[in-house]
Amino acid sequence: MSWLSRFRNALRPEPLEAELDDEFQEHLEQRAKRLEARGLPPGEARRQAALRFGNSTLIRERSRDIRLWMGLETGLQDLRYGWRALRRNPVFAITAILSLSLSIGANTAIYSVVDAAILRKLPVPDPDSLIYLATTPIQQPGSEPRDENVSFSYPLFTRFREVAGDSVRLAVAGYPGRAEVKESTPGAPLEKVTRAYVSGEFFQVFGVVPALGRLFTAAEDKLPGGHPVMVLSHDYWQRRFHGDPGVLGRTLVYDKLLYTIVGVAQEGFFGNEPSRFVDIWVPAMMYSKDAFTNDGWQWMRIAGRLGPGATRQQLAARLQPVLSQSNAERLKRFATAPAVLVKQVLEMKIFVQSGARGVSSFRTTFARPLWIVLCVATAILLIACANVASLLLARASARAAEMAMRISLGAARLRLVRQLLTESLMLAGLAGIAGWFIARLAAPAVIAMLATSGDPYRFVLALDSRILLFCAAISAVATLLFGTLPAWQASGTQPMQVLRGVASHGGRLRLGRLFVGIQVAFAFCLVMAGACFLFSLKNLRAVDAGFDPHQLALFSVSNELADKDPRRLDRLLQVRDRVAALPGVQAAAVAPWAVLEGSTWTDQIFLPGKPPSEREEIFYPVSSGYFPTMRMRMLAGRDFAPRETQEDPVIATVVNMAFVRRYFDSEDPAAALDKPFQRSSQSRMVNHRIVGVVADSVYSSLRKAPAPMVYMPLNGDRYFSLHVRSGLDLPSLSRLVEREAAAVGSGTRVREVTTLETLIGNTLLRERLLAVIGGTFALLGLVLAAIGLFGLLNYSVARRTREIGIRSALGAQRGEIVMLVGKDLAGMVGGGLLTGLVASLGLITLVQSLLFGIRTVDPLVIGSATAVFALVALMAGAFPAGRAAAVDPVVALRSE
Amino acid sequence: MPPQNSAQTALDLLVLTLLDRRGPLHGYAIANFIEDLSEEALKVEEGSLYPALHRMEERGWVAAEWTITGSKRRARQYSITSEGQRQLSAETQRWAGFSLGVTRVLQQA
Repeated sequence: MSWLSRFRNALRPEPLEAELDDEFQEHLEQRAKRLEARGLPPGEARRQAALRFGNSTLIRERSRDIRLWMGLETGLQDLRYGWRALRRNPVFAITAILSLSLSIGANTAIYSVVDAAILRKLPVPDPDSLIYLATTPIQQPGSEPRDENVSFSYPLFTRFREVAGDSVRLAVAGYPGRAEVKESTPGAPLEKVTRAYVSGEFFQVFGVVPALGRLFTAAEDKLPGGHPVMVLSHDYWQRRFHGDPGVLGRTLVYDKLLYTIVGVAQEGFFGNEPSRFVDIWVPAMMYSKDAFTNDGWQWMRIAGRLGPGATRQQLAARLQPVLSQSNAERLKRFATAPAVLVKQVLEMKIFVQSGARGVSSFRTTFARPLWIVLCVATAILLIACANVASLLLARASARAAEMAMRISLGAARLRLVRQLLTESLMLAGLAGIAGWFIARLAAPAVIAMLATSGDPYRFVLALDSRILLFCAAISAVATLLFGTLPAWQASGTQPMQVLRGVASHGGRLRLGRLFVGIQVAFAFCLVMAGACFLFSLKNLRAVDAGFDPHQLALFSVSNELADKDPRRLDRLLQVRDRVAALPGVQAAAVAPWAVLEGSTWTDQIFLPGKPPSEREEIFYPVSSGYFPTMRMRMLAGRDFAPRETQEDPVIATVVNMAFVRRYFDSEDPAAALDKPFQRSSQSRMVNHRIVGVVADSVYSSLRKAPAPMVYMPLNGDRYFSLHVRSGLDLPSLSRLVEREAAAVGSGTRVREVTTLETLIGNTLLRERLLAVIGGTFALLGLVLAAIGLFGLLNYSVARRTREIGIRSALGAQRGEIVMLVGKDLAGMVGGGLLTGLVASLGLITLVQSLLFGIRTVDPLVIGSATAVFALVALMAGAFPAGRAAAVDPVVALRSE
Repeated sequence: MPPQNSAQTALDLLVLTLLDRRGPLHGYAIANFIEDLSEEALKVEEGSLYPALHRMEERGWVAAEWTITGSKRRARQYSITSEGQRQLSAETQRWAGFSLGVTRVLQQA
């Protein structure tokens, strides 16, 4: 009885026993009083009252049973009955549960990802008063178009803080970035972590308390370079130090400095970017010293918490003049700037955005694709519902006799509907449970699809009560969707007609056609969507990048020489030369970063005798041998010579064809050769002379047409990307390169290894997500629609057995009978297909921005989707058609 | 719906009629009315009124509500619902039909 009493307690807050006691006691006392009034002595009156009341224990038992069971009884009866009905027809039950559980699982999985990535608020107190600052972005060639800019300089941050006063507490929230730390003992291995620079008030702003030691305070904002302390995340503390409290006061080497661990942040706090988990926080003051005086260093985000009564609009209005003034001052320091850029800087607006869900670059990239995927999942659920509804209809015809019997025995229509809905609810309930487990497996797989190797996105994929509620809710909605109409239809059975054997199947078949039409329409939409996304990915992969990405490994190499040390570049070029000389390596070259990595350097172009260029162009420093290593075609002139540098009075420069077209208005590469131009660097002008012209290649994105580019010789920098073209497999090549780097000395070593193909893949994550999930769901939709078609055709053929028998008895050929079924099939598919086509064309216009090389009315997409769909429909129709053709007229007519 | 014996039906009918005519009543008051009305012809244990009330409550024929009595104790007060009124009129008709049938049989036998 324990579960029952729990159930009862849940339903009735007051204990039932006490209620009954109170009620009986009141009765007995009233009765005794009345008897006393008639002259009985008090003791006798109570005895008489008890006597007249009867066996109170027994009565209490009876009452309790009634109050416990009566409400449950009909429900339990329905459940028992439903269970028997499902057991009686296991094929139906399994098909229904399978298709429902797949779609419920898909929805729950996608929803849990959407929840983790987009919807969930930060796990901190009062997330709704959190804000972050943003401005309108500056659109530059070579950078992806963005909705907003969230990078600010430190000087601007301090000015904002002064003006804001008490209305908001602002803090620096640096970008989480990959970094290397090691223990201070000699020979300790390097460990890769995610670190973020934050100002002293960061933790107070987010309301985070220490799990151990202390967190940063305003005292950490005093002296640039003067606060070598760090705070660990709870997760990293557990992972790396196994929750050892002795970690306080220990030191770690980061960026060649010794940092003391002063505290561990509260469990569950990962920073303010939901897709990145920060391992260590470092005071903002420890960032490069230049960043605190030069407002050109826009390296950090600004987060904050609004004071009581302050609104985001008020704050924005207060900060806007500060931003405009700072921008105007900055512009004055530029000798010249393109008009387009000046306009963008002067008109820059500040936004105070809600920070409740943190800031996330992941969200800006993936929010739309994830919502689309969720819509696709919803379509799958609707198909599954229509599918199960048509299965229920087909089963209802088998149960017509049973229904007729129950109606004849006096069952009310609502009672029957309730019974049938209980069965549907059981189906959906079982499917919901199965779907929950499918979601638990599928959600991490979706996340894994979004992860890039170097910079993994992480999410708290808590499949918690909210997700469970979502799963239960869609199961319930599904029940209503697929259960209501068939239940209403079945409960409307006319008993007399069934008993006479002339029941009308017309209504049922009409309803069946409706459900199949819905399935066909949705499934065709899914196939169209899947085709769009798959072709889109294929088109992007087929884009001629202008270089050959195969067999090109990229090594991030660094050494420990000081910033201005001239040997820095030498050491690096030595590694390049040694690697290039290795057997199995065809070519090697160096650039400060690789294309498609997101880094850009842009500058204005000054051609002699012409006004300064209206836009800035991409400048890309590379070592000699870059073009052959990338297999880019040299169209005119020559490559750099090894001795040419960026310090030469006239810098040898190579441009691409797009540059020639824009600035020399010519299709002839030779037209640009030997031509000079200038760029402005800080306050002086730098001279360039074009020595070569290469073919166009992509720089920031495969989606964009190649932009004008300026290549020039390399200078020394901290990190370099060593490009190696080799047929060797990556692990053995890595070992060789690591050996050569170590041989050069000065702490030269390899930090990260990747390939150009991986980088290209990383820029296509969104497309791949949509293609994989879109394709999978299209397949699922096809299978479900095929089951639905097959079921209805089979039913229709069974119903028309007599008609077919008569037709073949009258001499109809097998082909004609098959055509009969074919016509039936075409009728069922046609309407749905047409609806689906129109709907999907509308939907494609909505997702056009995510597609590549696909027209809204794309014959290839429509043609292939229709062909695949027609094939599946034919397969679904083959068996029923064969069955119809095999009808023996004698048997068919005799069976009537 | 489980078959009901006639005593139970009679008790239900009586209670519903009472609640219909007199408005909301406590269990004890209902017992008193039954006692007075049927002049002890329907001699039942008073306690068995309560399971009947609770059954009708679960069926939705009557509604119950806790009230505070004059002696500052809580007591449940029962009232008839619209469903109970429908049931009452249906049962009354059936009862009338049944007793008419019985009378006819007795006359003709």
